[in-house]
Amino acid sequence: MTPREAPTDALEPWPDTVDWRPVSRDLIWVELIRVWIATAVVAAAVGFGWAVSGHWLFGVGLALIAVFTVWDAIVSVRSVRSWGYAERDHDLLVRHGLLIRRLSIVPYARMQFVDVTAGPLERMFSLATVQLHTAAAASDAKVPGLRPPEAARLRDRLTALGEDRAEGL
Amino acid sequence: MNPQVVATEPKKRLHPLTPLLRGGRALVVIIAALSWQTLGQVGLGWFAVMVLALLLGQVILGIVSWANTGYHVVGRELRIHEGLLWRRTRAIPLERLQSVEVVRPLLAQLTGLAELRLEVVGGGKTEAPLAFVTMPDAVALRERLLTLAGRAGTATPATPDAPAVAPIEVPIHAVTNRDLLISQLLTPQALFMPFGVAFVVVQFAFEATWSFIALASTATAMAGVLLQPVRRVLVDWNFRIARGEAGLRLRGGLLETRSQTIPVERVQGVGVTWPLLWRRKRWLRMRLDVAGFATSGGEESKAFDRLLPVGDAPTSERVLAEVLPIPTGQHSLTLTDFRLSNPPKRARWFHPLALPVIGIALTDEIVASRDGLLTRQMVIVPYARVQSVRVVQGPLQRRLRLATVYADTAGGQSAAARDRDLSEAWWLAAELARRSREARAQQTQTPQAQQPPAGLGAPTTTVPPAPPPET
Repeated sequence: MTPREAPTDALEPWPDTVDWRPVSRDLIWVELIRVWIATAVVAAAVGFGWAVSGHWLFGVGLALIAVFTVWDAIVSVRSVRSWGYAERDHDLLVRHGLLIRRLSIVPYARMQFVDVTAGPLERMFSLATVQLHTAAAASDAKVPGLRPPEAARLRDRLTALGEDRAEGL
Repeated sequence: MNPQVVATEPKKRLHPLTPLLRGGRALVVIIAALSWQTLGQVGLGWFAVMVLALLLGQVILGIVSWANTGYHVVGRELRIHEGLLWRRTRAIPLERLQSVEVVRPLLAQLTGLAELRLEVVGGGKTEAPLAFVTMPDAVALRERLLTLAGRAGTATPATPDAPAVAPIEVPIHAVTNRDLLISQLLTPQALFMPFGVAFVVVQFAFEATWSFIALASTATAMAGVLLQPVRRVLVDWNFRIARGEAGLRLRGGLLETRSQTIPVERVQGVGVTWPLLWRRKRWLRMRLDVAGFATSGGEESKAFDRLLPVGDAPTSERVLAEVLPIPTGQHSLTLTDFRLSNPPKRARWFHPLALPVIGIALTDEIVASRDGLLTRQMVIVPYARVQSVRVVQGPLQRRLRLATVYADTAGGQSAAARDRDLSEAWWLAAELARRSREARAQQTQTPQAQQPPAGLGAPTTTVPPAPPPET
């Protein structure tokens, strides 16, 4: 095994050959609101507990939640920036993750079907998620935060390429 | 079977004894559900009445469902109709057929019946169990389905296949029952059993306050511990591997015999395990990955995925040569041949002891990865079956500039190159993607690539043209 001189950044392999495209920055808001809703529910429960029992541990809990919210905001911004995808001749590359960094290489030929989803929050910011499914459950090719025209373009391109090179199993 | 009627074949019913057999199968479940405690509470007489009542209900339900179930082959689909209130028709496209299994539980063996199970891609669980049909029917239907499944492009409508042609098979290997028994005695569960029994006996001897229920429950718990080895012995009894026209044929079973047929081009990967306790015997165990099962449940899944329950290295090579592409210019595939390359030295922070064990090997046709200090495991995946490639880097790995590369398959197992140097990981990922693409391209060009060696073409039967592996 003789690895040639290779790029060194964990999220930027083959910088000269791959044209990475970022996802929309609005995804940050989607992520933030999603977390805020969850934390608001938890905070309300904890606050209620504090009001009723008056135990100081609940106060600590609230403080922790506040810290977590701030920390999560920072992480969300950076993690959305870490998302990226690239369409190569034969495969789709998807990279994401901050703490655990992941890169998936999914050949178009292996595509079983494509999902385009948009939840209520995503629709509010007019975003959509495209997910490519292969026969392997472990394959992980999800691209969130796409503008609807881009999502539609990606979907059509993937299905067209998939039909071209379909090989099933 | 009425092969003259091509367009719409009449629906066939399952065998009339089906409800009774299903009831027999339910008996065990009913007793287990009622449990020992109920037996203690209500006494034997009422217990028997309860069991009988439930059983009767089960049989009546069985009769109703039997009367409404039918199946037939339409074109290249198997259609199964069932249900009284909620009618359901399942059409199973045969080009997606991964394996066919003929299962005969004990009761079915006594009555000459069998259950036909089909594995189809996309179905999380075993699709379409046809239980029960007569044995000749099951065999004939299996051959017919496999023939239809293999004949991908050419849509010649169901030709009248000669029903009573004995399938020509070349035996590859038979596992001796003695080896099987020894191998299952050499499992942790079986080895610790004497201690467990001794503990209970001592307890019982010193305080004689144990009731019948406590004793029975303890016995049940013990049986539960032993379940896995015992189950393996029962399932893998008389295990035989043969190569038939339609693919690999695996047989085995003591109480419930199973005969599974897997087209060779459907094999997604092979897992090899060297358990710690077997190491002195130099034994190993092999598992077969086929798309369709292996995703649903772990060790206890009902899927019959054993390729070799126990065997030594030469045997495993002989078997492997049947299911995996053999390196060009070689006659067999030896597990020791792989020149595994280990992760860099600094990965010892993650695996202080196992570092020399962990490794990955790329040959011309396959990628093999090895792992596990005590129970050594190897996953072998042909490039042509790689579905996607992933590179994953955790926070600690980033500190050490390491990353793990996965080659995913449809069978559920991924070959993983753990903790490689980052630049090597990128190289591996690119290389795996490239090689799997080339292997796929080659395979679509020459569908005969994986055909079993010559000497199989039986002149008496109509051998289906080599199945193009891709649809």
